[in-house]
Amino acid sequence: MSFGKFLLKRSLQGLVVIWGVVTVLFGLRAITPGDPVNLIVDPAVDQATRDRIREELGLDQPIYVQYVDYLQDLLVGDLGYSYQSSRPVTTMVLERVPATLELAVAATVIALVIAIPLGVISGTRRNEPADYGATSFSLVGISTPNFWLGIMLILLLAVQIDIFPTGRRPVAFHDALWTFLTTFYVGDLLTWLHHIILPAVTLGTYFTALITRLTRSGMLDEYGKPYVTATEAKGIPGVLIRYKHVLRNTMIPIITVLGLQFGTLLGGAVVTETVFSWPGLGLRLIDGINNLDWPLIQGIIIFIGISYVVINIAVDAIYAKLNPRVIDE
Amino acid sequence: MQGADRTTADRRTVLKLSGVAGAASLTGIAGCLDDGAVDDADELVITQGEFIENPDPNDHITGPYFNVLDPVYEPLFDVTPEFEFQPRVVDDWEDMGDGTAELTIRDDVVFHNGDDLTAEDVAYTFNRMIDPELGVESDQAAGLGAIDGAEALDETTVSLEHNVAPSLAEYEYANYGRAVNQEWIEGQDQPIAGSDADAFNGTGPFEVVEYEPDVQLVLEPFDDYWGEVPDFDRVTFNADGESSGRANALQAGESDIVDNVIPEDVSTVDEADGVEIRNETSLRNVFLVMKSGVEPFDSQEFRQAMNYAVDNEGIIDSVLGGFADPMTQPIPEGVFGFNPDLDPYSQDIERAEELVEESGYAGAEITLHAPEGRYLNDADVAQTAADHIDQLENVDCDIDIVPFPDISDANSAGYDDENMPFFLIGWGVITGDSDYGLAPFFTEEAALETLRNEDISEAILESQEVEDEDEREQLLQDINEELREEAPWVFLHSQDSVYGVRDDLEWEPRTDESIYLWDIN
Repeated sequence: MSFGKFLLKRSLQGLVVIWGVVTVLFGLRAITPGDPVNLIVDPAVDQATRDRIREELGLDQPIYVQYVDYLQDLLVGDLGYSYQSSRPVTTMVLERVPATLELAVAATVIALVIAIPLGVISGTRRNEPADYGATSFSLVGISTPNFWLGIMLILLLAVQIDIFPTGRRPVAFHDALWTFLTTFYVGDLLTWLHHIILPAVTLGTYFTALITRLTRSGMLDEYGKPYVTATEAKGIPGVLIRYKHVLRNTMIPIITVLGLQFGTLLGGAVVTETVFSWPGLGLRLIDGINNLDWPLIQGIIIFIGISYVVINIAVDAIYAKLNPRVIDE
Repeated sequence: MQGADRTTADRRTVLKLSGVAGAASLTGIAGCLDDGAVDDADELVITQGEFIENPDPNDHITGPYFNVLDPVYEPLFDVTPEFEFQPRVVDDWEDMGDGTAELTIRDDVVFHNGDDLTAEDVAYTFNRMIDPELGVESDQAAGLGAIDGAEALDETTVSLEHNVAPSLAEYEYANYGRAVNQEWIEGQDQPIAGSDADAFNGTGPFEVVEYEPDVQLVLEPFDDYWGEVPDFDRVTFNADGESSGRANALQAGESDIVDNVIPEDVSTVDEADGVEIRNETSLRNVFLVMKSGVEPFDSQEFRQAMNYAVDNEGIIDSVLGGFADPMTQPIPEGVFGFNPDLDPYSQDIERAEELVEESGYAGAEITLHAPEGRYLNDADVAQTAADHIDQLENVDCDIDIVPFPDISDANSAGYDDENMPFFLIGWGVITGDSDYGLAPFFTEEAALETLRNEDISEAILESQEVEDEDEREQLLQDINEELREEAPWVFLHSQDSVYGVRDDLEWEPRTDESIYLWDIN
């Protein structure tokens, strides 16, 4: 199979997944109790007004008609209007993407900066104190629920010691960067950094622990392979073997996991965003759920689903380029 | 060579030093940067659990929504905590005795975009709230049921047409008016749903300088305001749906006032330095509806028995941390028509069992439905009430926690709907007049009818027409007394509004849950 056909096949599979997400969400909305009209107007309004609103929203139509209408709107990027705010859901989703992306990228950067050196140290110093330290850290990191970690960080570093804010995002990264590039004023960038550190550490801790363990086990696997013995026999220095050969080969599965986990970070930031009042998609999703604002809930979950599928296809494509055998497998 | 060794750093040393320097820099950044704390005496930060749904002042009806919008779209009247109406944008008003009231507005009021406020704008505002054809399906329409329309008589006089007694009409129009600029509004989406500072254009003492939907609204004084601007250079409203998040923001000095502190967070806030808890009974009642068209709740004795079965004081102390007052009637204290002579039902198991026997429903099996997270510790309140009822030897009571929309549907399903006849719900009498708490529940064919009683229904409708204020108050008090005996609900409590406040801030919570910037020093 050619690379193009492989990509096409993956894309078609992705479309089926997205259709599945849309359909399941629509089904959930249909069977969820509660008259949407009660969510739109005061419960004390008269029946005639309620009937008129139901008609305007198409809620008086049979369910299959509503489904087809929804799919048609979706195809042109129209996710409908929020029950609560009357704003277009597409806008409400897109305006929250930068904050979630910032958080996911920052968490990923923290994870990579900490996890790879830690994994390398752990993998090359097996059964030494450094290895025990790294594996203990990764065990704690994987086992710690991030809502608890976030709350503890806030109580300790924001409320008690008072060196970080409790949360919020006073400035967007792109605005801070633009200010810096146009005026050389670095204050906004530092403020952004100051506010994102705790949420990024919270979101990135599990990821850090995971990559640490992957790096460690990858290093150990690679060190057991014959090519390492051969390169050592050639007299190549240990540092070169470690970074040029062993770590490079270890990185292939890490990159795969990185892609998959990034998608998870986009969807999984819900808890972290809520704890830190970080105004991303997750916080908006919680608002939507609290208000049973179904158009908003559907819009956000569909967006996360599409992002996840696209990232997966991109990871598959990169992986296929790095290792063409997967195309035929 | 030793000297050379001391001055030449190897790679490992450089890495170590870099690490130390990095850590020091990060600590330095953390120490020097703005950590969100409020350090300017002229800046006020208020953090609320709920925020504005959109920037349209004529669309929604909740207290937090008005708190955020009122500094921008000021109320037409000043409403005192005792529900007395004072002039503000409306300078003078008079009921003409022919089903109309005339409002005279100030002639020096200016919108933030520079346009003068006119009587046409005020008339348009009222019509926009009650007529969906003008683009907004306003929640406020339900509270303006007595107002049929408005028209401008001249530059400063507005005539309001109404269909009820003058005092009831006054409660409605004086509570809901926030003037909008007709010409400007007609150029906007309906309802206004913008996402930046340009989506606001009121006449209030503050104008919007930053707005991020569901996150933050930042205000600065409006230079051309007709009156005295509150003494703040900058006011920020933040949204934070988590009670612990709000409490943390207060303790960290990032907020001056936070609302809805839940009982679990009260002691934490109260013990922290520089902040304190302030609370006030609100106009929001929480009660158990018993639909009078469904067995066994069609028996007055049975409904009374349920009231005698529940230890309301105990629930308030143990489940609500004391942050509530027992209900004595359908209307909370402070509302026009409240009857001060009534006592709450006290738990009396023996009396309750006798009443159940008298009702003929001994052995009844009932299920209490309740939401979770809608009202203060609602599921726990319901669970405890159900346990108390279940203590009766001749009644079995289960509890079922259901999504709030189920409760909301049941609430509007009619007095004889058998699907869910016994449930916990809350209601805020936000107009300050009993009619808003009585008419929707106790008049025939009303949207939320729970009791079918012809005499009470007629009395409520009659009260809407009584022009003499004292006579009307007496009539409403009589109705409330009669409803206490009818026991259409298990009367639980009026919920407190609980705030965390910086302790040097001069501000007292109000029963109507309003936070007016002009009340804060």
